[in-house]
Amino acid sequence: MKLGSFLKDKSISIIIAVLTAGFSATLIYVLGVGGYAAGFVAGVFLLGEAAALIIEYFQKRTFYNTLLQSLDKIDKKYLLSEMLDEPLFSEGKILCEVTKLTNKSMNDEIAKYRLASQEYREYIETWVHEVKTPISSSKLIIENDKNNTTRNLNEELSKIENYVDQALFYSRSNHVEKDYVIKQTTLKELVNSALKKNSTLFIESRISVETSALDKTVFTDVKWTDFILGQILMNSIKYRSTDPKIQIYGLKNENSVTLMIADNGIGIPKMDLARVFEKGFTGTNGRTAAKSTGIGLYLCKKLCAKLNLGISIASTVNSGTIVSIVFPKSNMFE
Amino acid sequence: MATIFIIEDDVKIRNELTKLLEKYGYECESSDDFSHMSEVVLRRNPQLVLLDINLPVYDGYYICREIRRESQIPIIIVTSRDNEVDELMSMNLGADDFITKPYNTQILLARISSVLKRVYHSEPVNIISHRGLELDVSRSMAHFEGSEVELSKNELRILRLLMCNKDRIISRDEIMNDLWQSEEFVDDNTLTVNINRLRKKLDGIGVHDYLVTKRGQGYLV
Repeated sequence: MKLGSFLKDKSISIIIAVLTAGFSATLIYVLGVGGYAAGFVAGVFLLGEAAALIIEYFQKRTFYNTLLQSLDKIDKKYLLSEMLDEPLFSEGKILCEVTKLTNKSMNDEIAKYRLASQEYREYIETWVHEVKTPISSSKLIIENDKNNTTRNLNEELSKIENYVDQALFYSRSNHVEKDYVIKQTTLKELVNSALKKNSTLFIESRISVETSALDKTVFTDVKWTDFILGQILMNSIKYRSTDPKIQIYGLKNENSVTLMIADNGIGIPKMDLARVFEKGFTGTNGRTAAKSTGIGLYLCKKLCAKLNLGISIASTVNSGTIVSIVFPKSNMFE
Repeated sequence: MATIFIIEDDVKIRNELTKLLEKYGYECESSDDFSHMSEVVLRRNPQLVLLDINLPVYDGYYICREIRRESQIPIIIVTSRDNEVDELMSMNLGADDFITKPYNTQILLARISSVLKRVYHSEPVNIISHRGLELDVSRSMAHFEGSEVELSKNELRILRLLMCNKDRIISRDEIMNDLWQSEEFVDDNTLTVNINRLRKKLDGIGVHDYLVTKRGQGYLV
């Protein structure tokens, strides 16, 4: 609180004090009590007013400065009301009361939305599990009656399955910490399970897959990593070139293990490369080559961040894309 | 021949699953009596139980616990719930394996045969024969009229798949998918090489024209 602004706020009371002092002094002087007495009375009046103002100023300054400092220090500003000491003057009391009330009302509002979003999330999860039953019965029906039509349907079903999975993982992605188990596994196990799961699409697209140097131990959550790998492989399938190939290999670094997934697909233009992990970004390829939702890589990035994995992408148009996932090596397990 | 008891409330899935498993040489049983499921299972005494979790009357966990109280029949839990807690719970209740829907049928078959192998210490179907050719799966050998030849891992899988589906055309994609499930990520060219080698080996023991090529459709034995 600046002295200037305080005085400005108090200008009326100062002006009135000066006027009353002037009036009293003039009155005393006119009544003929004497010039000294008039000056003395005016001085007492003004000193009294000044003393009152100084006391008020310091009181308020202490309160508001503490308030501003604590506001500056906390990162969740709405918690301010919890940190206020109730002051002695009534304006401050009103301020405290008001902040507490607005804060409480906002908490109620947030709780309402939190509940709504949680209910929605639970609904999505139930829905996903429900929809998986007809998908599996359809797959079984196809398995028992294979012909060209059902084979095509099977491919479409695999896509549906992938989108359904995406929805499930999207709704879970904000709560990864509630549902994960870090286990010891190898790159080989992770890659093989992702390849097996998506085998139909790979085979239909005539992609040849080469794996090498995958016998490296990593610590991660298998289910989430499996999903991430699935999304990346799905992109390699979607944006394939003629005579498609995918090479998957591991690299051992000093403090980490890197999994490289390199395809010879159509690649990503340089101007799009920086934005591929953005939510809803489809880019040139998404618009021209295949339908893109702009969710897959966004989810990968988000989940990688939650699992403490590094993910990066490098690409050249018409020659291919390399996605690398870095699994940090923890000293805890050695 | 192993008998598999399927506990599943979705009739369609149950029927299709039965069809699939019977094709691969298992006998299947099931029941609609969901309020006395564990008693029915224990009475029939199958070699393996496939158990769904979401069931009417009692859920799968309850049935699993009830069966375990009386018997050590291998149980594979098949469910669409896929979080770690469900898996952990299944294992704690004594289930032998846990598969999430929608499953790849090849994975399901592989899990079934590995559980059977583990529990009964034997290959469920050891020798498959068709048109005089005998395939010894556990030794990876093909016999024909006294002569025999050793098959590589891929050749064995290809021949086994074709012989299990005798008189039915199996597409190249299906063969490749089967090989992929055994973690051999072969491409089109490798498959051609494998098929040619297999043919040559069969020719070597006197089986001629065993693998019939159906142009644009696949192979048939």
